[in-house]
Amino acid sequence: MENIKTYTESGILELYALGDASPEERLQVEAMAEKHQAVKAELDEIERSMQLYAEHNAVQPPEHLRSKVLDSIHAGDLATANSKDNVIALPVQKSYSFYKYAFAACLVLLLTSVAALVSMYNRLQESNTQLAALRLDNQHFTNKVNLMDHELQIFRDASFKFLKLQGTAHSPSAQLTIAWSPVKKEVMIDMGSVKMPMNDKEHQYQLWALVKGKPVDLGVFDKNPDSAAMKEMKPIAYADAFAVTLEPRGGSPSPTMDEMMVIGKF
Amino acid sequence: MSRKRKISLTEDELVLSLRNREKIAVEALYDMYSASLYGVISRIVTDTATAEDVLQETFVKIWNSFSGYSTEKGRLFTWMVNIARNLAIDKIRSKDFKNQNKNQELENNVTFIDEQRNTVYKPELLGIRELVETLKPEQKSILDLVYFKGYTHVEAADELGIPLGTIKTRLRMAIMQLRKHFN
Repeated sequence: MENIKTYTESGILELYALGDASPEERLQVEAMAEKHQAVKAELDEIERSMQLYAEHNAVQPPEHLRSKVLDSIHAGDLATANSKDNVIALPVQKSYSFYKYAFAACLVLLLTSVAALVSMYNRLQESNTQLAALRLDNQHFTNKVNLMDHELQIFRDASFKFLKLQGTAHSPSAQLTIAWSPVKKEVMIDMGSVKMPMNDKEHQYQLWALVKGKPVDLGVFDKNPDSAAMKEMKPIAYADAFAVTLEPRGGSPSPTMDEMMVIGKF
Repeated sequence: MSRKRKISLTEDELVLSLRNREKIAVEALYDMYSASLYGVISRIVTDTATAEDVLQETFVKIWNSFSGYSTEKGRLFTWMVNIARNLAIDKIRSKDFKNQNKNQELENNVTFIDEQRNTVYKPELLGIRELVETLKPEQKSILDLVYFKGYTHVEAADELGIPLGTIKTRLRMAIMQLRKHFN
């Protein structure tokens, strides 16, 4: 207690009450006051005296100042409230702009997708066209290969005989090759070998077989410079000779001997 | 008073309602303490308009930093008067105020200095007659210098040319006298 008495009489409590204590001294006084009731009571007495002294020295502020001070406190509270609102409003602003950007991004994505889709569709169409063309080509080749295969078989087939029909006095430069298999009774014209004038629309060439002096109709054909195929004619098992005449379109029952183009015998 | 009656609460009620941020508490605070605080402020800041500004700032600061006050630290008034005194001292030391006073200085040099450095007892400012008899003039001048003018006791010792120990003793005696008087 002696220490506390010394402490209260040191003058530090007075300095504290007068606002003239250093921050360290202030903490010390507050700690002491909290610990010792006597210090607290002494300090309270000093502070109370100073408060009363201040009241005795009070100066009444002007009347108008009251509402001004109260208003500024209320205005400050409003500003604080507003700034709090702003703090809340900020993330809202953020998310709003987030959705804005997200929407823009979606739109860009959509447009890009549509463009890509259109481009892909066009390519697909192009590919389909090419595919169709390739299939057609393929078909052509297959046909050609089949045809050539067929021709090759003819050449390989030993039963086929090849006969070159020579031009007559009527058309000395005309030529034609036929293949004939008496076993299979097949007659073919090698269209690539046809060396005769183009026939017009009213006329066609007609192939005949001469069997024991009598002409037998083996079918009609047109000269086609683009074709190199073997054209299959009507079958016949026996013939002495073959001849071609120019006849009205569709052919004639008996050959027009004046218009004989080529003839060949075995 | 043209205004409706002033609001008055006990210190405990006042502290509680200030903690609860009640508007009525600010009004009570103003009605109970504005004159005492203005008494301190107006002794430090002699310019009336500036003193009024400081009083306003003081109440705003009390309201905004009230969470910094606790009853364990002592009386509410002690805490508030420290705020008022510090704001007032900051004001007269600020650039604006010094510049403002330079202009005054040109006009009325002598009066200004006299007002700023006046440590002499002024009955018209300090009011109560009984206190004149209670406090000895040398006690009162030091007490007022520290409490109202915001001097530290070290500055007061320099100002008055009195040893630091004497200053402390006189301050303590002055307050003892006041305690006797008010009791």
